[in-house]
Amino acid sequence: MKEEKFKELLNELGRHTTEEVSPDLCEEIKQNIPSRLPRHKINWDTISIIIDLRMSKSIAAAVIIISVILMLNWLGGRDPVGRDIFQDGMLFLEYWRDGAFDIASSKLKYQHLLRQGHDVIWYGDNVNQKDPNAVLFQYRLPDGTYEVTFVDGHAKKVTPEELVVLLARMVNKMK
Amino acid sequence: MANKAKKTEHIVDFTYLNDRKRNITLKKEYSRQKQNSLAARLSAGDPKAASELVDMYYQQIYLYMRRLGHDRQISEDLTQESFLNAWRYISQLRDGKALNGWLYRIASNTSKLYWRKHREVSGIEDIEVSDHNSTYEKVGHNEELEFLKNAVARLPMKLRQTIILHYMQQLTIAEAAEAEGIREGTFKSRLNRALKLLRKQAIRKGSLS
Repeated sequence: MKEEKFKELLNELGRHTTEEVSPDLCEEIKQNIPSRLPRHKINWDTISIIIDLRMSKSIAAAVIIISVILMLNWLGGRDPVGRDIFQDGMLFLEYWRDGAFDIASSKLKYQHLLRQGHDVIWYGDNVNQKDPNAVLFQYRLPDGTYEVTFVDGHAKKVTPEELVVLLARMVNKMK
Repeated sequence: MANKAKKTEHIVDFTYLNDRKRNITLKKEYSRQKQNSLAARLSAGDPKAASELVDMYYQQIYLYMRRLGHDRQISEDLTQESFLNAWRYISQLRDGKALNGWLYRIASNTSKLYWRKHREVSGIEDIEVSDHNSTYEKVGHNEELEFLKNAVARLPMKLRQTIILHYMQQLTIAEAAEAEGIREGTFKSRLNRALKLLRKQAIRKGSLS
């Protein structure tokens, strides 16, 4: 059966599956209309609507964080129209756009392991951030294998041979 | 002479089609502007606008409830409840463009809540296919519609709702997606799945030519 005819039949079904609606229903509904309808105002509903605008969650999160930074700046007594807020905001946007969040959180993890005396090596300062296979740091596990953390934040357990291959590939790409 | 007459007939036909097209466009534009003004007045808290909204939509919402499988009495109750909820959530109405989606979304949620509470006690009551075509050649067509109605009723609820909203309630993809609270892409994929299932059932049954 042709698709168009099928859709036409469905449309027709809509016209045929109908029945008389009690006229009292309309009056009953109208009787329940409140004398004062709530007016539109900026409240939590508005925020829900903004989130409902099909914004991606990360953008929504970024907007909330920027608002918090601006608020803290303001409460901290800094000049609200000065360069501080603007610079912080731009820095934050740049940071967020470049995927620097993943690198920063990986660096925190690296520093934590380093402080605990583990065998870790950081490559993050020289890697190509656009290469998803670039290794940020390696961490030697007690069983002789390594845990490597990549630019996008994901970690993988590899053998020493695999680590050599990964690092060699990364160095080749950097040339 | 005959050729000339035929030519004139064609020209008349074209004029008729053009007028019809213009009328449809004008009607759509009028309806859009009316919805915009209604939404603005509702947002401003005008009770008269609320009354107009009821006039415009109470039949649609009632039939939507019936098509979802609620019986007459329950459908009337749920229609009333949908409008009560609409008054409560009127501040969420954005603009005229979103009016359809907003109201249907409230109605969908009202129906879902009802099913959730009364799943065990309430059955699905089908709305009858009205038999306007009594001539012999139309009997087969009515059978096709009857089959299709039953096939739609057998679909899983989510898929069934997509068919009802888009084809039976005549909502656009964007409005229907808004009513379901999902993205347009998700709605389209659900709609395709529903159509596929219906076509499969039709092929299996061999009832649709």
